[in-house]
Amino acid sequence: MTMDIENMTDQTLTDQNRNGRYSRLQNRWLRVLAPLVFMLATTTPVSAELMIRITEGVDSAIPLAVVPFSKTGNIPNGDDVSDIVRDDLTMSGEFKPLSPERMLSLPSRSDDVYYRDWRMLGQRFLLVGELSQEGDRIKARYELFDVNGERRLLGETATASADGIRGLAHHISDKVFEAITGVRGAFSTKLAYVTLETGNGERIYKLQVSDVDGKRARVRMESDEPILSPTWSPDGQSLAYVSFETGRPAIYTHELSTGKRTRVASFPGLNSSPDWSPDGKSLLVTLSKDGNAEIYKLDLASSSLKRLTDHWSIDTEGSWSADGRGFLFTSDRSGGPQIYQKETEGAEPRRLTFGSRYNARPRFSPDSKHIYYVHQREGGFHIARMNLETGNETILTRTGLDESPSVAPNGRMLIYSTQQNGESVLTVMSAGGGSNYVLPAARGDVREPAWSPFLD
Amino acid sequence: MIDQQREPISTGQPAWKSPVALSLLLHGLIVVVALAGWSWTNPVDEPMPRSISARLVINEQPAQQPAPEPAPAPAPEPEPEPEPEEDLEELEAERQAAAERERQQQERERQAEQERQQAEEREARQREEQAAKQKEQEQARQKAEAEAKERARQKAEQEQKRQQAEEARKREAAAKAAEEERRKQEEAERQRQQEAEAEARRQAEAKREAEAKRREAERKLREQQLEALADSARESEEAARRQSEAEAAARARESQMLTDSQRYQGLIRERLKNGWYMPSSATSEMTATLRITLLPTGELSSVELVRGSGNTAFDNSALSAVRGVNRYPVPSERDTFEKYFRQFTIEFNPERLR
Repeated sequence: MTMDIENMTDQTLTDQNRNGRYSRLQNRWLRVLAPLVFMLATTTPVSAELMIRITEGVDSAIPLAVVPFSKTGNIPNGDDVSDIVRDDLTMSGEFKPLSPERMLSLPSRSDDVYYRDWRMLGQRFLLVGELSQEGDRIKARYELFDVNGERRLLGETATASADGIRGLAHHISDKVFEAITGVRGAFSTKLAYVTLETGNGERIYKLQVSDVDGKRARVRMESDEPILSPTWSPDGQSLAYVSFETGRPAIYTHELSTGKRTRVASFPGLNSSPDWSPDGKSLLVTLSKDGNAEIYKLDLASSSLKRLTDHWSIDTEGSWSADGRGFLFTSDRSGGPQIYQKETEGAEPRRLTFGSRYNARPRFSPDSKHIYYVHQREGGFHIARMNLETGNETILTRTGLDESPSVAPNGRMLIYSTQQNGESVLTVMSAGGGSNYVLPAARGDVREPAWSPFLD
Repeated sequence: MIDQQREPISTGQPAWKSPVALSLLLHGLIVVVALAGWSWTNPVDEPMPRSISARLVINEQPAQQPAPEPAPAPAPEPEPEPEPEEDLEELEAERQAAAERERQQQERERQAEQERQQAEEREARQREEQAAKQKEQEQARQKAEAEAKERARQKAEQEQKRQQAEEARKREAAAKAAEEERRKQEEAERQRQQEAEAEARRQAEAKREAEAKRREAERKLREQQLEALADSARESEEAARRQSEAEAAARARESQMLTDSQRYQGLIRERLKNGWYMPSSATSEMTATLRITLLPTGELSSVELVRGSGNTAFDNSALSAVRGVNRYPVPSERDTFEKYFRQFTIEFNPERLR
């Protein structure tokens, strides 16, 4: 509509100019009027133009095709990049990769891509690529296409060592995820968790670190006494945890690259629930050295303590906010465990949860807008999320004995432990709830997961 | 008219010829004849003439009609006898005898008188009868005479009438001729006049006709002008009506188009909703505004990001949603399409987020 009027105006002007009937005076008028006319022509019809407002989208994952990468040269069999990428994206809960059997063609570069094919299959995005050998390394060249927009969104190469195929795949997953969702992918991050193996009358606790898909797990510490509450240092280089290895609880830091362990807290009574501060300089710890369980800030460099809570009831499970100024904790000062927040270290605690008699083990989302916690309702323990701005509480899980929620550094995924077939397993879900991706279990119980920060 | 007036009989006739004198003469004659020979003149039993004129005579002599019969005289009433007295019986008787005698004398006298009277009466009756007979005869004679005279008179009259008629006829003929002549002249005159009049009439007629023609022409012209005016009025009225109808139709169509448009808007909204894969980074603060241009077939001609959300993934998701619709549901009605769906704006803004 706008265009029409503009065109008309233009035509009128040219006609008039061509006819040359306009005096200078009229031209001056024209010069004054023309912008006015133009303004009217451009502004008025726009408001009259039809506008359709879309306020909700489809409540399902984005259809995306990851074509098996072509391989040239000596590429090790076994792990397949496209399979890993497909699994990563599936795990996020935000993508629904197309099964390769349904693909009409298997292009590996843009020249072979016929958008129509993928459009017909209802795919929104297409990832193609090829792996080639480059010395003793493997090079991946990959391209991501917007099927509807018929354009390439990504065209990159990455290399990895021969045994780094999985890392290469997670890297590609991160790039694809970010290109499509606008959020940095967290597939190259790590998980820390504790496994319990029981056999021959023995109980073996193992602190393990793995890829986010549970693969490439490595045992970092092993004990026949319980290991609890691993937490990552903000640089992702260290873990802190509670170990009963001495027969009584103590808090240790553990440098992963070197394996160097440090006992940082071994006070009388409880030493539990460490949480590494965002600046990496201190830990929030729960100690009962002063009578009952209170939350302290333990400075790692000086080993000095600063008591942050003071109540006759139990205060525990402190968790830093992203800016490190305030923290969340669990307290039964109201009679049962509920979640409280201190905006700053010295502020008065504010109770956040009211929805049920049991709310515990809080964690902030990376943007500190939400908290995730264990919420008991009708006899079951579920993972819940609260929007701190609105106070809206959402129950994210339907299983019954869900524990230890931990949020991915990009805030888009969540890992927690739950019970499956009588054993404890880890489950990854999208931060918005909905999809569940049960990590392929190692043996035995798997619990106390902790999602690492970004590692590079 | 002169023709119809009876003309008086000419004065040039002798006096005796007048009908009254004639009648008197005839009557006189009849009386003489009747006095002289009524005895021997038998009434001539002539048949009554059936002529109507006989009545005229009778009417003229009513005296000669027979007198009406005199009414009979009433018989005299006997006088009441006086009552006889006792002491005077003898005297009375005597007197009675005397009276009887007198009465008898009187009776005789009366009888004689009666007889005389009767004889007289008979005589008188005979005389009367004779006179009557005579009179009758006389009357008959008179009648016959009168009739003869009447016939003569009638004849004379007829003759006279005939003569008069002849004369009248002649006069009439002459008059007629004159009249004819006059009439002819008149006729000629009239004809001339008529001709002149006709001519005048013709001329007048022609003039009138010309006038009428002129007037008719003028009238027609005026009529045409009026008609033209009326036509133009009608036309403008018609045009106004058409325009208002067109406006009403346009309004109806407009609302129809709007209804259609809303329906198709709903369909498009549904398609886009089902095709919009909102990225996980989306927040309710993000809004991507796109302007799309469609072909009448519903195919996307172009899409342009008018105002981004600041989040590329979010903008891309909106673009992808728009591009992901193979064929937009658009009205087949071309005007509605052109008005609403040729180009329009879509705003992507998540109201609530998971």
